[in-house]
Amino acid sequence: MAEIFDRLVIRILLAAFVCLMIYLYRYAHVIFYPSVKRQVLKKIHPAENPADTLHLFSRLVGISIIFSSITFNESSGFFLSLFHFAVWGTIAIVLYLLSLFIIESIVFYNFDYTDEILKRKNMSYAFISFCHAIVIAYLTKTVMMEAENSLVILLVLWLFMLVIVGFSVKYFTFISKLTLNRLLIQKNLSLCFSYGGFSLGAGFIIASCFDQEHYDITIYCIQVLLKTVLSLIIFPLFKKGLVKIFPVYLGDERGEVGQIDTDMQSLGYGFYEGCIFISAAILTTMIVNRIQFGTIYPFF
Amino acid sequence: MYKFFLYTILIILYLGLAKVLSPSEHGVQYLQNAGGFSKIIKGNQSTVILIDTHATGFLIKTYYQKFRVISGYENVEELIVRTSKEFAKKNLNHIGLSLYRKSDELEEFLPLPPGSLYIGNREFGEWKINKKGQTVWKFNKVFKNFPKYLGWGKFKPDMNFYQQMRSSISLNHPFYGPHKEFGPEGKITRRNFPHFFKEERMKKLDMKTLLIEYFKENF
Repeated sequence: MAEIFDRLVIRILLAAFVCLMIYLYRYAHVIFYPSVKRQVLKKIHPAENPADTLHLFSRLVGISIIFSSITFNESSGFFLSLFHFAVWGTIAIVLYLLSLFIIESIVFYNFDYTDEILKRKNMSYAFISFCHAIVIAYLTKTVMMEAENSLVILLVLWLFMLVIVGFSVKYFTFISKLTLNRLLIQKNLSLCFSYGGFSLGAGFIIASCFDQEHYDITIYCIQVLLKTVLSLIIFPLFKKGLVKIFPVYLGDERGEVGQIDTDMQSLGYGFYEGCIFISAAILTTMIVNRIQFGTIYPFF
Repeated sequence: MYKFFLYTILIILYLGLAKVLSPSEHGVQYLQNAGGFSKIIKGNQSTVILIDTHATGFLIKTYYQKFRVISGYENVEELIVRTSKEFAKKNLNHIGLSLYRKSDELEEFLPLPPGSLYIGNREFGEWKINKKGQTVWKFNKVFKNFPKYLGWGKFKPDMNFYQQMRSSISLNHPFYGPHKEFGPEGKITRRNFPHFFKEERMKKLDMKTLLIEYFKENF
């Protein structure tokens, strides 16, 4: 009984420590978004600016996803496991925020956080940012798990992941009929659902490329690169196939171009594209990772 | 058109990268034809025996062959190579035979029973008369394990075997033994290379049997 109670106490103390780390994250957030210092460090008023609330709390969800990959090893001692969590937690926070900053600088190169979120309360911007936060967190978690407590490998894989994500976000303009910059200025929700589906799909694909056994970092990186290029080949096949299987009606095709444009900007089209992107991505991961070609071993 | 061009470039890029970088592409040597043995086999007084063959792939097959390389004064080793379709098909009937022999600077590519290089070579053994009065080839003590490596079992080549072999060599015809003891139909080959002739590997399943076996295994 005493042992069980001791373990419960340890769990409660560790939960409190994780909360403390998240409290520290509030201050880290301010480094990248100094304009929200007043909102973040004092009481938050969600009803005042839903876009800002979504933007801020998406980071919290992201941090929670990353923290879930760090393990406490109680057998090496309580304080040592706390120290381990503190070190890797801090590294995770820094890498996560840095990744988000870089990716958002690429995607929102025409936009400013203060203008879009604080002044214009752009929900489309906030939702896209939310998807980025989730995807980057999921990828950072995957990379941290693959690094297996090696800081050098973590840095190499993180940089590699960032390059792949950086290229992948640019891929949206090739495969979507929606124009990111124009519709984002218009606070269009169709765009945010379409882009959300795309970014989550891309996240699934990249995470699945990183999720493999690794013995040698060079061979591992080569395998990840090959899988990424293979995904780029397979993904359009599924996307085209799904669009052919489920064709959509976009206005009267003999009618005015404006009608088709309005239909594309509707919420329904955003859902449609988003779901097509996610489905195609999940199916791509299956084709890239779940086919076992076997070896010549049973014969030789 | 632009997207199609980009997609084609992507496929070419993938194939190129996979060929250059993939670890599975390294380590297995490619054998276009028997002439390629010269580059692979380094030892002197060597004989290369085909002991297994296998094809993988669905539409585009990749052919693998496994050889036992016996060199006069070196260790016996097994070698797996990727081969061309023509070479693999040509050698389907040469299981258990020696496909390549190298003696000093002389190379031979005619399929012959394993050990043909050493029979009659006094460096490796000598002709002896047995109790039945037959003249048979016996390896020197240093090479006492050669019959095992060569897949002879209890077989001992006699003078008749040797003469018929020499005659086949002069006619440039493959030789399977006076009573076809070697090769896929030969008793000696079948006995000494049992892995290749396993029942499971030999039987050809029809679709019905395959489906029945699948349901038995999975449900």
